[in-house]
Amino acid sequence: MKSYLALITTDLKLAARLRVVIFFNYLFPLMIFFIFGSVFGARKSVDSIIYVLTMSITLGILGNGFFGAGIRAVQEREMNILRRYKVTPISPAPLLVASMVTGWVIFMPYIILVFILAHTLYHMPWPAHFGQLLFFISLGLITFRSLGLVIASVANNMQEAGILVQLCYFPMLFLSGATVPSEVFPHFVRVISEFIPATYLVNGVREIMMKGQQLPVESIVALVIAAIVGLILSMKLFRWEKEEKIRTSAKLWILAVLLPFLVLGAWEIHKGQDKPPVSTFGR
Amino acid sequence: MSTSPVISVQALRKSYADLEAVKGIDFEVSAGEVFGILGPNGAGKTTTVEILEGLRPRTGGNAMVLGFDPERQKQQLKDRIGVCLQATNLPAKIRTHEAIDLFGSFYSRSLTSEQLLKRLQLWDKRDSFYETLSGGQKQRLAIALGLVNDPQLLFLDEPTTGLDPQIRLEIHGLIEELKSEKRTVVLTTHYIEEAERLCDRVAIMDEGRIVAMGSPRELQQKSRGQSRIQIVCEQPLNAIQLPQWPEAMDSKLEPDGRSLTVYSNRPARTLFEIMRWLDQQGIQLEDVHLKRPTLEDVFVELTGKKLRD
Repeated sequence: MKSYLALITTDLKLAARLRVVIFFNYLFPLMIFFIFGSVFGARKSVDSIIYVLTMSITLGILGNGFFGAGIRAVQEREMNILRRYKVTPISPAPLLVASMVTGWVIFMPYIILVFILAHTLYHMPWPAHFGQLLFFISLGLITFRSLGLVIASVANNMQEAGILVQLCYFPMLFLSGATVPSEVFPHFVRVISEFIPATYLVNGVREIMMKGQQLPVESIVALVIAAIVGLILSMKLFRWEKEEKIRTSAKLWILAVLLPFLVLGAWEIHKGQDKPPVSTFGR
Repeated sequence: MSTSPVISVQALRKSYADLEAVKGIDFEVSAGEVFGILGPNGAGKTTTVEILEGLRPRTGGNAMVLGFDPERQKQQLKDRIGVCLQATNLPAKIRTHEAIDLFGSFYSRSLTSEQLLKRLQLWDKRDSFYETLSGGQKQRLAIALGLVNDPQLLFLDEPTTGLDPQIRLEIHGLIEELKSEKRTVVLTTHYIEEAERLCDRVAIMDEGRIVAMGSPRELQQKSRGQSRIQIVCEQPLNAIQLPQWPEAMDSKLEPDGRSLTVYSNRPARTLFEIMRWLDQQGIQLEDVHLKRPTLEDVFVELTGKKLRD
């Protein structure tokens, strides 16, 4: 247990000392929040500020997961930092858990801050189910950090990690409804959107905020399964040294983390419930 | 010796795909011994120690370290040994005392960062970030991390490679301290003078095999290479008939007539005879040098290549 605590404490100190962490966890999503708040006239409509807030939160979670967890883990391996840990008696578990906890602790103040800004500057009513919302956002963060760690486990170097991250990051950014409103999607893009994990994050946050709904059960189940599968896989496939290469076919393990969302997407389409996602702009 | 060896290796082999890095080696290391593994890059030194540290599985043979099988009892073994790796790194923004406290938390017993930083002369740098340390300070920190669990067995993999001579001497001093504390040290190196100065015994490795093993002195004595005795006299010897000294293989008088070089298999005996002859002749001696064959000579003789190849 003392190794877990020591790693979490050290990770937090290191994160606080890195400007890039501060930029991507706070400044960048805040810039997005203010720029799009202005573009969408968020002061005039509650739905617009919720839309912008969701966009900012989703961007933060995706960045935290793919870059904060995924790319950083590959960097540590490439720089022979993980190699030093390999000669100690610890297993990968405390390193991965510390990465999760650190990502969460760093991100939560931003979430609180952005809600306060939306409430005070843009007159957004305080969410009725704020606790549930924080729980759902935390779950999303853990799931996307798990996915980032699996990418780190199956990428042999920074170049491969960069390609895999972009392959996941951009579809999630543009096809989930986080940035481009989903009601402008043609039907086939909306079908694709059903298979994208970030869609469930975006829709879940909006549903809780706009409709005051209880936690979306299917999304939660998919996020929890993906997080567990991701953590188990990143532990099993963990590599301490850059010289330990993994076979190319191992990259297919990323699909295992995405599988719950593929099943959920297929189920949603089968049910015929692929109705337009929750959004202001189509109304 | 009745005590069981700290390290025992029999017929150890390691293959990577089509490359056989270690080709069946045997050796033992006793408690309190500084055991050197000497060889050029690619000889199999690092692979051998990494198998013993529990970092790599072996392909064949047996190995026991502190009574543990390094492949099957990795965790117990890692908890008991100290390791200073050849190529390693720490996060740029970690402070030296934080690094020691962090690594100390991984072991069932650990020394405090204050004890280690003072001992490794890093106390003044306790709040410095890793990225600001010099090469020598980083290496001292690496050794501090290797000592964090107060191990009785320490693996030092090329601890002075790439360091400037002054820092290398500092690290040598540290290793001598470890030796005086009766810790067992396994040291890999391709610096001859390091092995000669620090090691009780040395295994010379080449292309995955141990080609010679023994104390540096034993290895030097096994060498066919002869010692060189060089004397400088106050007056020229040109006019004098030089005798055939016992055990001397060859002698050569330099053009100045005052410098004489004699090659011998038993230099102590030959030197004594030379001194006696000079005394009988009433020739005053100005300077004398005796150069024994080095481990490098032994290495070249055994492998036909230089250590830094």
